[in-house]
Amino acid sequence: MAVAEKPLHYLTIHEAQQLIRDGKLSPLELTRAVLDRIAAVDGKLHAYINLMSDGALAEAQAAEAEIAKGHWRGALHGIPIAVKDQLDVAGAPARIRQFTQGVGDATAVRKLREAGAVMLGKLHMSSLPGDLPLPRNPWNTDHITGGSSTGSGAAVAGGLCLGSLGEDTAGSIRNPAAFCGITGLKATYGRVSRHGLAPLSWSLDHCGPMARVVEDLAHMLNAIAGHDAYDPTCSAAPVVDYTSALREDVKGMTVGVPRDYIDACAPRTDAIVLKRVDEAIVVLKSLGAKVEEVKTPTLHLATIANAVIYYNEFWAAHKSDAAWVLENGAAQRRARIYLGLLTGSADYIQAQRIRSRCRAELAEVFQRVDCLALPNQAGPAPRVKDVGPIDTLYKHVQPEFHGPFNLTGLPTLSVPCGFSENNLPIALQLVGKPFDEVTVLRAGYTYQQQMKWYETKPVI
Amino acid sequence: MDKLIEQNLKAVLEREGLQPKPGDLEQFSEIIGLYVENLKQLHSVNLAAEELGPVFRPEWTGK
Repeated sequence: MAVAEKPLHYLTIHEAQQLIRDGKLSPLELTRAVLDRIAAVDGKLHAYINLMSDGALAEAQAAEAEIAKGHWRGALHGIPIAVKDQLDVAGAPARIRQFTQGVGDATAVRKLREAGAVMLGKLHMSSLPGDLPLPRNPWNTDHITGGSSTGSGAAVAGGLCLGSLGEDTAGSIRNPAAFCGITGLKATYGRVSRHGLAPLSWSLDHCGPMARVVEDLAHMLNAIAGHDAYDPTCSAAPVVDYTSALREDVKGMTVGVPRDYIDACAPRTDAIVLKRVDEAIVVLKSLGAKVEEVKTPTLHLATIANAVIYYNEFWAAHKSDAAWVLENGAAQRRARIYLGLLTGSADYIQAQRIRSRCRAELAEVFQRVDCLALPNQAGPAPRVKDVGPIDTLYKHVQPEFHGPFNLTGLPTLSVPCGFSENNLPIALQLVGKPFDEVTVLRAGYTYQQQMKWYETKPVI
Repeated sequence: MDKLIEQNLKAVLEREGLQPKPGDLEQFSEIIGLYVENLKQLHSVNLAAEELGPVFRPEWTGK
């Protein structure tokens, strides 16, 4: 029945939804193809921790029957997706939770189901209890995927699902998206409900989509964005059709480059990353964008401020089970508790004041520009053998490219912008005004359509 | 790790009724030292009367 020119497991959501809508692809056939792919390569990638094959096949069959009767729900109907463990799924509560109850389906998961998506299962994340094998990078299985949405990065890049939900407190969507050569969106704080998301840090946690191309993020965001009475921080700001961003046009768009901040991070950033990002900015300019350097004088303190808030809120969220975490939890979780305990109230309050100042500085910048462009990562994905259990924490406490946008809550897109000398993906980060996901998606889409890095696939 | 920082951490852990996992303070010594050092930078900037509270400002919608 399928007429796709590439393996079904590597269809984008955008391609698959067109074929399903036109009756040229069966959701059941697509789901079987992805399950076959999981069977073939997840032994090398270790992305899934709870594969729900029977449920997925039943859901795919139901979607197929519904569509056959003329009830096509939209772009996600019959599309196989999987979610980071941190999100609750009915029948498979977050394994990262040790002492708190799940809620059945997290709101974002429920919304995906209502849109007709097929749930394949739960994906690995950093710091899970037990001795699960670490996910491996599909581009080179000697290398890490980046975290903490480790399984999401591996699964999307490897063709083990068409899209995933991740969570980002200090880069956990954008880091694996960058390392694995896929796209990821940390939407504005409050744009996507956190209900049913095991908390790391209430005021920094963001739920968002991860997929192979920008179009797919727009389709997923259409399904999951919007107010949720179960999450008091979820915004009632109007939701737009994010696929309206899907036109190749950055003419007249002003792209700001925070050069002083990039320079502050440069001593810990590989030259190849700076080179690829500069090349991407040149491409945006060649496509009609105006590029302007902007100054953000306090942003160099945003990463440590983000860490202070993260570790204190983590400590507060885990105070009742801290004894268990210190005895049995993963090294990263134990370290977060020690660091949270070491922070005084004056430090926490100062971090909040820096948060306020950074937001004000960026608000001023966004008077003149439509989005910011900057690197996403310090370097290509390192080798598994070179990464210690708490190495991520070093990134959290020195100026880097992720924390400032958790701190300020701004929508931030990770889009691939080429490869390193050893063929590992590198990504550009685009940051927008609050609730202006459309602009970053449009800029990312225009760039992606021009460069088509997504056409190159890893050999696993 | 600086002795004062270690004593401080042990005191806070004790106040909370917690025990560090054996070996943790040695294993995490470097990150704890770096974190505490960088905490000082938070206070290196004069924020004057900077307000608290993450409120999106209406002018953010303009270009």
